[in-house]
Amino acid sequence: MAENSNGMNRRKFLTVLGVTGGGAAALSGCSSDSVEKLIPYLVPPENQVPGVATWYASTCRECPAGCGLHVRVREGRAVKVEGNPDHPVNAGRLCARGQASLQGLYNPDRVRQPLSRTADGKFEPIAWEDAIAQVAERLGGSPSDGVRFLTGHEAGSFDRLVDEWLAAFGSRGRVAFEPLGYEALRHANRTVFGIDGLARHDFAAADYVLSFGADFLDTWLSPVEHARGFGARHGYRDGHMGRYVHVEPRLSMTAMSADEWVAPRPGSEGLLALSVAHVIVRDGLASTPADVHRVRPLLDRHVPETVAAETGVPADTVARLAREFTAGPSVALAGGMGIQHAAAHVTAAAVNLLNYVAGNVGRTVRFEGTPTGRPAPYSRLVELTSDMKGGAVRALFMHGANPVHGTPPGLGFRDAMQAVPFKVSFARFMDETAQACDLVLPDHDPLEQWNDFETRPGVHALQQPVMQPVFDTRATGDVLLQVTARVGGPASARLTVTSFKDYLQRSWAALQARVGDRRPFATFWTEALQRGGVWREPSTQRVTLAASAGSLEGSSTWRLPEGRLALIAYPSSALYDGRGANRPWLQELPDPVTKTTWTTWVEIHPETGAELGIAEGDVVEIASDMATIRAQAYLYPGLRRDTVAVPMGQGHTAFGRYAEGRGANVLHLLDAEPTAFGGVATYTGVTLRATGEHAPLPKTEGKPRQMGRGIAQMVTLEELARGEGHGEHGAHAAPVPERIEEILDHWQEGQDEATKYGAYEGEHPRWGMAVDLSRCTGCSACVTACYAENNIATVGPESVRRGREMSWLRIERYFEGGENGEPFEARVLPMLCQQCGSAPCETVCPVFAAYHTPDGLNGQIYNRCVGTRYCSNNCPYKVRYFNWFDYQEPADPTFAWPEPLHWLLNPDVTVRSKGVMEKCTFCVQRIRDKQNQAKLEDRDRLADGEVLTACQQTCPSDAIVFGDLNDPNSRVSALARETRGYHALGELNTRPAVTYLKKVRNLVEG
Amino acid sequence: MTRRALAAVGTLTALAAVVAFVTTRPESALRAQADPAQDQAPYKAPVDVDTAGLPGPVQPILYRHDVHAGEYQMDCRYCHFAVEVSSSAGLPTVSQCMGCHIIAGAANPEVQKLREYWNERRPIEWAEIHVLSPFVRFPHSRHVQSEEGSFKDLEIVEKCETCHGPIRRMPQVYQHASLKMGWCITCHEKEDVSTDCTVCHY
Repeated sequence: MAENSNGMNRRKFLTVLGVTGGGAAALSGCSSDSVEKLIPYLVPPENQVPGVATWYASTCRECPAGCGLHVRVREGRAVKVEGNPDHPVNAGRLCARGQASLQGLYNPDRVRQPLSRTADGKFEPIAWEDAIAQVAERLGGSPSDGVRFLTGHEAGSFDRLVDEWLAAFGSRGRVAFEPLGYEALRHANRTVFGIDGLARHDFAAADYVLSFGADFLDTWLSPVEHARGFGARHGYRDGHMGRYVHVEPRLSMTAMSADEWVAPRPGSEGLLALSVAHVIVRDGLASTPADVHRVRPLLDRHVPETVAAETGVPADTVARLAREFTAGPSVALAGGMGIQHAAAHVTAAAVNLLNYVAGNVGRTVRFEGTPTGRPAPYSRLVELTSDMKGGAVRALFMHGANPVHGTPPGLGFRDAMQAVPFKVSFARFMDETAQACDLVLPDHDPLEQWNDFETRPGVHALQQPVMQPVFDTRATGDVLLQVTARVGGPASARLTVTSFKDYLQRSWAALQARVGDRRPFATFWTEALQRGGVWREPSTQRVTLAASAGSLEGSSTWRLPEGRLALIAYPSSALYDGRGANRPWLQELPDPVTKTTWTTWVEIHPETGAELGIAEGDVVEIASDMATIRAQAYLYPGLRRDTVAVPMGQGHTAFGRYAEGRGANVLHLLDAEPTAFGGVATYTGVTLRATGEHAPLPKTEGKPRQMGRGIAQMVTLEELARGEGHGEHGAHAAPVPERIEEILDHWQEGQDEATKYGAYEGEHPRWGMAVDLSRCTGCSACVTACYAENNIATVGPESVRRGREMSWLRIERYFEGGENGEPFEARVLPMLCQQCGSAPCETVCPVFAAYHTPDGLNGQIYNRCVGTRYCSNNCPYKVRYFNWFDYQEPADPTFAWPEPLHWLLNPDVTVRSKGVMEKCTFCVQRIRDKQNQAKLEDRDRLADGEVLTACQQTCPSDAIVFGDLNDPNSRVSALARETRGYHALGELNTRPAVTYLKKVRNLVEG
Repeated sequence: MTRRALAAVGTLTALAAVVAFVTTRPESALRAQADPAQDQAPYKAPVDVDTAGLPGPVQPILYRHDVHAGEYQMDCRYCHFAVEVSSSAGLPTVSQCMGCHIIAGAANPEVQKLREYWNERRPIEWAEIHVLSPFVRFPHSRHVQSEEGSFKDLEIVEKCETCHGPIRRMPQVYQHASLKMGWCITCHEKEDVSTDCTVCHY
């Protein structure tokens, strides 16, 4: 177990903890908050016991989706986050970014104490009291409106506090800027429905999903919630499944789950949506609301035949989409950030109309009242910047926003900051924006502080500190209150609370009154903390068309400039807008589409690449009217030939060791001028030039295609209906001897005989897993969950290039078709140790470190392993990972957990050392833990579903099921018996415990 | 823990065992009478002990298990509170010690040391005696709660003493068993419980 540099190891830490009173009481005692009890979930804090985990409910703040968390705390340290099963948004599931929130908490590059910039531009530590005095002094002069406060998206007490705090100083200069602010969607909702907010989409109620560029399983609005509903409805079950058609020039991660991909000309998606709506109204396909006549003239201008020329999509496809869309419950979605071009508001408005004419609004698309704390559009940030440049801003406060990295440089935010005499950042990390500030007053991590977040109307979620702060940081809410107290006078008279927790509790007392709860506040509060918040079923607003619905302003298409390629800048699935770039788990998480890690790539169609003489790995110069950036090429058939795509998130010049100097910031290519709807346009025209430089891409993909191996198998819904469960055949379809069954049975008898001896006697479970590929979206949440649970080291880009990544569970992605006019398709398959019944690895281990356990696992005993690597050589699935370096040795340059990152290590799992082979063992620590618990409760058998592997636990679409294959009534047994079930490389007769259920594509066209 | 460090730990453990053996001298009267099972009369712990003559590391405070668990027959779980529910047995907090010693034994110089720790709000840095390698999982709860085999009719303290030795007669605790894998396996085989590797190693 790793020790940190001052010699504090786990055991000593325990001792220290003991002194202050044991368990969670110590936890609150050590925090900078006054001594109070924290309320853990189910287990009261008095019962926190060393060696036993305590779970706290909180809220994930990694993106505005606001999923509920359960944080596993051992000996006063958070060691794992999981979804809160009671939470209405994510129901226990979490995405990769949520899983990686621990790496924000323990990030070695956090700002460890308040910093002040000296005359020579360097930062020096400053005492909190001095820093607060400095702020108070600056604000204490004559109140003026020269104070501005820039925050990220907040929805709750902190949001209100900032507004009130500014008001106390006579300022209304609040800007809440969220880089992925969905300005086009908001604009369209205002124009079409007169509603200032975002809708909620019910995927579980929609048989048919038609997405116009929305990456709803990836970053769009609330991906975990969407994946849950989508998995339930679109996943195959008893002969039924939904159908999903994706419309976008690029096949995104989300679109990999689509049954059909339509790639219109970039920028023309809105026309397509309008013409689908036109056909619905023209042919009376749905009972449309009466006020549709108001938009008839608009729809009638979009006849499929005329639109076809602009979109490149044939008229009969449009007519078919219209029929399919109205055949049953459906939902249409409008573009995420990746499709936010200059005419994106028209696309979004067109999709609104499409949903409206099909009668979906109020059913699968619901508006549920106005949420609190709406982010301002990008155009407000532009105004702020010009105010700053003009010298109107005297003091600028910034919290949860990094505009220097997160906006096109043409905006000139960094330069504008020079014109502001006093700039204070509350950043947790020294990012590009904090670097240009005068004072950095680090906020607590979201897992260290009190706060609340109204995820959507009716969902009031609480955040509570799950452990004492790691560093000398302070909650920004408290700092603001300390500043007003220091200033005194009228400012402090307006804000009388002394701590942010008091402020929070006051707003929750008000909430209690609003929800009509008459119990004592303490009861209400305690219960809310234990559950993670308070949720009510919101009422669905009645929606009609607004007066402006029929008149869409501005051009309805974005046109690609002559001689250019359309560049799509899309949010990275792992790094989001770039805020995840300092988390090594997310940097090393292979992109679901390209399988690339740690860098920026540009996706180019292979034919375009061939024309331009660009091969994979070539360094390409991408030039727009604004700037030129360099990125390595990845040849991707899932694009139109006139389109290239680059993910956001990299190109940091600050933000810590994991983020700095990797790849390029694609925002540099974009125009800083806000669009008609007030956002940044993420489409632009570019030219590509091969620089002649080349380097292998740090990607985990071996070959992009299956080469007939039949690893990720697919079957169509029609074939299943005809009883043809066997989709395609790989090499396993090769001729086999006639007596093969007999031979295998005989061999198996021998094997069974052998297992009767020794410890294998008696009844045991056989742990197994079923992975439903019709539900798996490739989102990779399971991968990060596995890293978190099993103390897997990150190795960095150089080692990834050499194939030395340690990812026990990887998502294999294979391309199909896309050549010779065949439709392109991508398939995904989670590949982990198959726990073979007849394992090739076991027979070659000279020291019995790889061996078979009585309960059917391929055990891997690290302390026994001598590192011959024979097992890995003999493994057909390549799921064994070797420790080439001392990732757990602090003195080693490859040390994977620099202090305090090693605090997140799971104390129940050995940290492997150099020269040792490691692999998935179905989270054996979780199995043994549950078995121990069962034994203490006098139970010999575990209930089905009692053990959840980390990957299964977090899977947003419920694709992974784990359990006992020897129990015929277990869920996993039932799935393993399904006709879709197959074993990867089953022809090798390895008898895996993992059964894959074939992906099902619904190609039934309406 | 590097491989080298592991080897070093192994060697040290072996050395410790040798040292424990060597220091078990016949003239140690304390050891000679250390068989609680045969000792029906209430045990009276010696008032003074010479720590130099005792096996085991010298602790910051001479905490007398023979007084607390032996003479006063305190339940092990009073201090090792987590032993039935956790992998860890639980270490008493200083405040827990002070629960009694705010009154009891005020004149005792060792208790005065304890009070100093308490007054200075300092944790006591006990020397660790029973050290398991980091790749071993030992759930105390599963063993202490066990009703299997020869554990069936044992008192809790007797279960503890199966591995920790005659704690009730130890003025200063020393390592009684080797804690090596062979020692674990011997017992697991005798009691006919699992000897699968992944029961302890993962």
